[in-house]
Amino acid sequence: MNCQEFWNNPPQRGDNLGEEQTAHLAECGACAAQFEPHRALAKGLQSWVEEWRQLEAPPRVEAGLTAAFRSQTGFHVRRAVRHSWWTPVIAWASAAAAMIALAALLVRGYQPASPRPGTVAAPRHISQPVVEVATLPPADADSDDDSSVLGDGFVRLPNAPRIEPNEDFNVVRVEVPGSAMIAMGVPVSEDRAAETVLADVALGSDGTARAIRLIGDGGTF
Amino acid sequence: MIEDSMAQYSSQTDDELLFRLRNGDEHAFVALYRRRQGAIYRFAMHMSGSPASAEDITQEVFLALLRQECGYDRERGTLSGYLFGIARKLVLRGLERGRADVPLEVDTDEVAPRELAVIDDPLAGLTRREAIEALRRAVQALPRRYREVVVLCDLEELDYADAAVVLGCPIGTVRSRMHRARALLLEKLNQDRKPRLAVDAWKPMRYAI
Repeated sequence: MNCQEFWNNPPQRGDNLGEEQTAHLAECGACAAQFEPHRALAKGLQSWVEEWRQLEAPPRVEAGLTAAFRSQTGFHVRRAVRHSWWTPVIAWASAAAAMIALAALLVRGYQPASPRPGTVAAPRHISQPVVEVATLPPADADSDDDSSVLGDGFVRLPNAPRIEPNEDFNVVRVEVPGSAMIAMGVPVSEDRAAETVLADVALGSDGTARAIRLIGDGGTF
Repeated sequence: MIEDSMAQYSSQTDDELLFRLRNGDEHAFVALYRRRQGAIYRFAMHMSGSPASAEDITQEVFLALLRQECGYDRERGTLSGYLFGIARKLVLRGLERGRADVPLEVDTDEVAPRELAVIDDPLAGLTRREAIEALRRAVQALPRRYREVVVLCDLEELDYADAAVVLGCPIGTVRSRMHRARALLLEKLNQDRKPRLAVDAWKPMRYAI
């Protein structure tokens, strides 16, 4: 170790030299003389350390901190207890409320829109689609004007496809305006044209309406 | 009985005690406090020069440890270093508040070291108590950044690596500041000694004729 290396790496403690540093001071009088004040300084600092080693904070600091620890620990325990009761309750209540709100929204979204007053123009389905197999007597192509009247009080709808022999029908009950029934050739009295009447509609196997009949007093109003 | 419990905790590491106090163990907290409070109090005392400030800082340091948002991370250093770091911040805050009351420090590393008058022992001829008082004055007169490395490394006996963590600087910076701080201390002690030597020179002397 040369002089430059010695002074570039001074000992961490002034009086705690390594082997190489001690060896350098033994062979270099200039460095030894220059290092002597550092050694004295380290000795003085060590005396100070020993003198102050027992210096501590006053006991009241510990007392104050212990009180703070107790109050803080109690605070945390209370908070933990409150958490154990309320956190799951609040969480489940929130989840239930969210589910109810979502369900209500979905149900309302799927409800059919109610008809506006005075705009009832189309038949309104009022019952579940009843799969009622009605065996309507086929219209006789050779018959006269009454050929539109079928069995069970059904009247064939204008421009409806021809009813094939042994064709199956589904019957759906609907509300329709009386005026519409009159237009289809169903006998409805004029003074009840503004009212809605119940009717069964016979749907063919292809889903198109084929015939209709009134529900009421003998099929007439 | 409490002392028995304390003895039981004395063999535990700082991190183990911290874990226990986090779980509400008061004895662990007291054991950790008693183990570390002296160094923190002395550091604050050396840096601030005021027992009242040192007391406040010590209390604040351990209150910070009690808070849940305490940011101690064992991966970044020891708990002791963490406590010194908090104390240092509090000291600096106090010094900032009292800056108007103290003379401005020459707080730069760029100050060129002056040539020292070589005196073998700047504390020679002083009693132990006088020497310590002279050293205390010299350390107090150091610029803050040199004072803190002397306090941490020489007085609280941290190694350079731990001091670097506390100060948030590279270990090489600690080493260079330490070297400069010792030079400044010797210079200050020599300045204090020169007037005394001058007065000594005025003492009546007998000359043999």
